[in-house]
Amino acid sequence: MSTVSGKEAVSTEKATRAVPDHDPARGRDQAMTAGQAAGGRPIPPPRAVSAPRAWLRLLGSEVGLTFRRPRNLAMLGVLTVIPVLIGIALRMFAGTGGDGTGAPMIFERITGNGLFLTFAALSLLVQLMLPVCVAVVAGDSIAGEAGIGTLRYLLAAPAGRTRLLAVKYACVVVFCLAAVTAVALSALLVGLLLFPAGPITLLSGGTIPFLDGVLRIGVVVLYVTAGMAALGAVALALSTLTEVSVGAIASTVVIVIAAQVLRAVPQLSVLQPYLLTEWWSGFDGVLRDPVAIGDMGQGLLVFAAYAAVFCSIAWARFTGKDITA
Amino acid sequence: MSIRARRGRTVRWAVPAAAIAVIAGAIGAGPVIAAVQGDPALPERTAEQLLASAAQAGRAGLKPMSGTVMQTASLGLPGLPEVPGMGGSSPVALLSGSHELKVWYGGADKVRFALPGRMSETDLITNGDQVWLWQSDENRATRVKAGSGERGEEAARAHEALPTATTPQQLAQQLLRRVGADTVVSVSNTEKVADRAAYQLAFAPKDPSSLVKEVKLALDGETLVPLRVQVYARSAAEPAFEVGFTSVTFSPPAAENFTFTPPTGAKVEETSLAELLKERRPERGEGFEDAEKLKSEVGTVGEGWTTVAVIPVSEQELTGQGQGEGSSGAGIGAIGDALLKSAKPISGTWGSGKVIQTKLVSALLTDDGRLLVGAVTPEKLSEAAGRK
Repeated sequence: MSTVSGKEAVSTEKATRAVPDHDPARGRDQAMTAGQAAGGRPIPPPRAVSAPRAWLRLLGSEVGLTFRRPRNLAMLGVLTVIPVLIGIALRMFAGTGGDGTGAPMIFERITGNGLFLTFAALSLLVQLMLPVCVAVVAGDSIAGEAGIGTLRYLLAAPAGRTRLLAVKYACVVVFCLAAVTAVALSALLVGLLLFPAGPITLLSGGTIPFLDGVLRIGVVVLYVTAGMAALGAVALALSTLTEVSVGAIASTVVIVIAAQVLRAVPQLSVLQPYLLTEWWSGFDGVLRDPVAIGDMGQGLLVFAAYAAVFCSIAWARFTGKDITA
Repeated sequence: MSIRARRGRTVRWAVPAAAIAVIAGAIGAGPVIAAVQGDPALPERTAEQLLASAAQAGRAGLKPMSGTVMQTASLGLPGLPEVPGMGGSSPVALLSGSHELKVWYGGADKVRFALPGRMSETDLITNGDQVWLWQSDENRATRVKAGSGERGEEAARAHEALPTATTPQQLAQQLLRRVGADTVVSVSNTEKVADRAAYQLAFAPKDPSSLVKEVKLALDGETLVPLRVQVYARSAAEPAFEVGFTSVTFSPPAAENFTFTPPTGAKVEETSLAELLKERRPERGEGFEDAEKLKSEVGTVGEGWTTVAVIPVSEQELTGQGQGEGSSGAGIGAIGDALLKSAKPISGTWGSGKVIQTKLVSALLTDDGRLLVGAVTPEKLSEAAGRK
């Protein structure tokens, strides 16, 4: 895969020159000396660009690569199609939807108000589809580069491992936001096209204007993004542990499924507040009156805790790791 | 690999270890920190003074307030079956685990209770003579008509329509009635409930055959409003049952909380309180459709903490055979089945039967058709069965 941006192309030559005497433990030091050794060549000195700008440039190139990969685009496409399918199915079979037991009532609400399709689609996809997509992107971020041998060249750039990791994680967060927004926008459009729109009835029985409802959808999008970003941190940490990206992706998905199974066992209800998956669908607080900030705040704290722990694990592993590929 | 590199790596791994330690500390040490910080400087008061002022404060009426009540039950019931049609906010689900109830109180005639579920909510809103029960699950708003003349009393009882709407106030009143000569009462003034300094009264039964070790009642230090009730069983360090505020504010809640207009598209029904209670009663697990008739047949043995209720009943009734149709009847039946399965056989001079013991309550079903229930050891139940 072509992970070579303009800057890396320059450093490739330096890196290959430095490879012969490779002591893998000192990969980073080598990169530094290689940069100095190549001082005679007409490359712009690293200090010419200020740190934030260099950071942004690296992030830009990473984000560009992520959103140009056909696989990632296909995943976003599937995420966009699912709300359309739900919408069409509900439109066609409206009123015949079973006896109401088992199926969440929120699906019956959709036929009355298109905005509910957004909430329904997000609460459905957040269980497995979105986590799988995030796991693929985040699990691939480091392990994928290591697997095809481009990680060395990335590290040869005078960016430093910490910055590279930060950029990779920021890129994962951007993808999370894009994926959640794709679902929300597609559901919003389909909902408005197929069903009547208007003031929204909240779970508490109150009614809010349409625009207020759209605003609350925005809050939900940010909340779900935060939840996915926490999973992204887990996948990133796993990604630094292996050079086989499928391993990192699969283990992240297994963790998600295991957490869902633990959630379903009533005897283990003690564990529930500590499970990441428990909080993903906790955005129903925005549909209450007054908005239940407490529960969502607690969810955000859990996400932050997961992100902090797993980002620091990823950092500890990645900055001390032997880069052999 | 050089020693320095190895040491560097160790230092690096200290960062995630520290992150985990900080988070674990924040989870585990929250209450500890609160306990260490808190010597809330509440003036010392005896139990009698406290109860008297609390009763006085109660008579003066509750101040406007709002808050979140958490109910946690770990009664040690045998695994209850999942009953279809009874979701997370159903009365049966309340027998185990934690449940949240939100309360807005703006005065005696302005009360709102909300029972949040996943993507659903049940609300009970009282505003003047308007009482609404809103169930988002069923998209149904029920207007409760108050009977003429007895409106005040009806409004006070309206909370019974909502299964968990037991506030600490109501429990405290029941508790105060039970305090007698067979109880050890103690007071502490260093409690903290919902971030407020509180007095805590502890009532411990003297009789060793009681399964209850202690009942603790926390009163707000400033307003003397009951904030928490905890029931401890002899067999466990954690409370077997707890209901209390996790957050509370003593300021008038926003007026929007008490206005309710049925949303468009919702089913709107009208019912009277009596019908609503009748409809709800069987679900509350308190018994059967002929609960009223049964009440007159119930006898008691003993008094105080070790009172044992004797109810004439047969096994068929318990397992739901011959029960009316409907999910609530079937639900009770399924639970009765599950409970009977875990029952142990017992026999005595009075005959034989089956006994079920949970952390707080024991029940004995004798073969001659009596059900004995009490917060006592099975031995005591057996003794009570012999007394007839």
